[in-house]
Amino acid sequence: MIAAVKGWLAGPAALLFFVPAAATAAQDPSGAVRELARKTAAFAGKGDAVAVTCRNLSSELPAALAELCGAFGAALRDAGLRTGEPGAVEAHLTLSEDQSQYLLVEEARRGEDRQVWIASWKRAAAASRSPAGVTLDKRRVWEQDEPILDVAVTDSAMLVLDPSKLAAYARAEGSAAQWEPRGSAPLAPPKSWPRDPRGRLRITGANFQAFLPGMVCTGTLDAAASMQCRAADEPWLLESGDALLLANFAPARNYFDGRVVTQAGLRKTVAPFYSAAAVEDQGRTFWLLAALDGRTQIVDASLEAAGAIPGWGSDIAGVDAHCGAGPLAMATRASGADEPDAVQAFAVANGAAAPLAEPVAFAGPVTALWPAGAGSALAVERNLKTGKYAAYLLSVACGK
Amino acid sequence: MRHISFRWLAASSAAVVAAGLAGWAGAATRPRYGGTLRVEVRNPGDSADPPRIGFGMADLTGSFAIAQWDAGRQAVYEASETAVGGRPYLDRVEVELGRPLREQSIDLELGKADVVELGPNELRRPAAGRRVWPSAPVRVVALVFDPRVEDARVREALSLAVDRGAIHRVLLQQQGEISGALLPQWLTGYAFLFAATADIARARALVSGMPAAARSLTLAADDAALRPVAERIALSARDAGLAVTVGSGAADVRLAEIRIVSTDPARALGVVAAALGANPPARAASPEALYAAEKAMLEGFRVVPLFHLPEVYGVSPKVKGGPGVSPLGEWRFEGLWLEGGRP
Repeated sequence: MIAAVKGWLAGPAALLFFVPAAATAAQDPSGAVRELARKTAAFAGKGDAVAVTCRNLSSELPAALAELCGAFGAALRDAGLRTGEPGAVEAHLTLSEDQSQYLLVEEARRGEDRQVWIASWKRAAAASRSPAGVTLDKRRVWEQDEPILDVAVTDSAMLVLDPSKLAAYARAEGSAAQWEPRGSAPLAPPKSWPRDPRGRLRITGANFQAFLPGMVCTGTLDAAASMQCRAADEPWLLESGDALLLANFAPARNYFDGRVVTQAGLRKTVAPFYSAAAVEDQGRTFWLLAALDGRTQIVDASLEAAGAIPGWGSDIAGVDAHCGAGPLAMATRASGADEPDAVQAFAVANGAAAPLAEPVAFAGPVTALWPAGAGSALAVERNLKTGKYAAYLLSVACGK
Repeated sequence: MRHISFRWLAASSAAVVAAGLAGWAGAATRPRYGGTLRVEVRNPGDSADPPRIGFGMADLTGSFAIAQWDAGRQAVYEASETAVGGRPYLDRVEVELGRPLREQSIDLELGKADVVELGPNELRRPAAGRRVWPSAPVRVVALVFDPRVEDARVREALSLAVDRGAIHRVLLQQQGEISGALLPQWLTGYAFLFAATADIARARALVSGMPAAARSLTLAADDAALRPVAERIALSARDAGLAVTVGSGAADVRLAEIRIVSTDPARALGVVAAALGANPPARAASPEALYAAEKAMLEGFRVVPLFHLPEVYGVSPKVKGGPGVSPLGEWRFEGLWLEGGRP
């Protein structure tokens, strides 16, 4: 028996390779080695010495090549050839790759006779790979390949909203972190989604609402898969602690168009904004509106301009922290779309932002940030390494 | 109403605020709608209608609709509200046609353009704040012999005389890759098997003893930008005993550029074969079969691949959401937005 490429497949590099249960020759690294060894043996003749050299032109780690090379030598010896000494036959092995597969290329020479053999196998998809006594705890609640628009979590259920569906999960018995699927409802947008789609989930008791661009869905937590959706230009209900704001979402864009209604019934049109958070400053409620120009506008309860905060990102969320003070705002940073992001908690005092906790770092841009119940917000990260989307609960911990 | 506690206010000391905000200056992070992207290209665009196939402007179709076509001068595209994947963030893309590379580079530096093409000369000159979007190496630069050059020894001698390393280092500013293959390594994984090293001694041996007329060749470059490369090849050829004259028009051998148009290697090879006027290779089902097909096309030295070069674009720092070109060099402007654009 020839040696299989066991160590490699068992090591970290193995993550890059998919080895089917019933793999045949050239469907995996071991098969590729066997295939080339068989051809080399036929080319060389029994008992010949083969001088083997190996090189790596792939993105794989050198250890992967060493393992392949070792397995190739072993396969040759199993076939009755001699290795490890100068021989009449030279075998140059190259580990290479194209866009979809790995190639093991052998250039075999005996005198003027030169042969090239190429064995290949498919690549798998990329590896599913404080001041003020306030801290932000970050806990991952969900991860998936598709963009996550929002996640709502209760004691027993979780809803995950993405551009194609709403998926429902129930907490697995005896586990705080495991979720079992409970069905999903596909989403059919009235028109195509905008390029940067956004969505918001709101749970009230046993019912939920999902706000999407140009569409509203409603349903119950125990039968989320049978939710009802309708095309509607209804305003989204933006919560921030105890404060509420009705805001019209521009259906073909990624922002609110500025038409808002306050809890007191005041209707007004302000500058378009991406997100909103309510804070208190000296006993008065202010709304922070992340405007399209990169500044965060501060408006009072009458929606009159009261200042601006520079340097925050597009996504902010208001959180009632109950740390002996008023609500605070969490804000993303003004980083690029392909840079690691961070979320930081701020208070607003005298029209200026004061950080309350160290920034919480993310492994990619934060693509959504929404309030998520008492003292917490939900942040969605697009991991720059894996390409996956992960939802995190950011909870304010007081007195740490 | 609650007041912000002393403890919270204590945190807002100047130092803390400075530390928290120092790295946070900048614009909003979500894509922004609005604005006009100004692009400049060398393509003269002198056809009666805007291009519908090929790379570049044709790639805009679907996400943008042509609003104005001023042949040889300017093309204006407007965002399509019904674009698949959603309306582009940009309102418009204005493409200035027939702009020389050097002027494109200056326009980028002066803020008159947002996306320009960069040649090796432009890459040589550093430019503050300029970003670069390269495609994968998708342009095959090759010597293509006219059928009248019948002596295979002459063709092989010229192929062995070319000092690809020197040209790549100096004239091409190390863009792309040296290669002896038609299809690039990133596409096939086996391009390294084709030899690309110079061997002047062997080249000289191949043509020694031939009459001077048989050792004389005319060389033309398809693209004026490749003329310096042609002149360098002529210089190397002299060392091998060949007399190569660089000219234009019908020539014994031309320095051609062929575009890789597909990420499917078999299809890409078929298109390259068609561009070379060669018979299409049989559909290859495995890398080994594809290698054999490509090897067969290169036998006889009728075609001598030299380099695989990328498309390279210089981009203004205010363009966000890139890269706006795919590995194949297609324009992907629908996901771009401009800092300072307005909804």
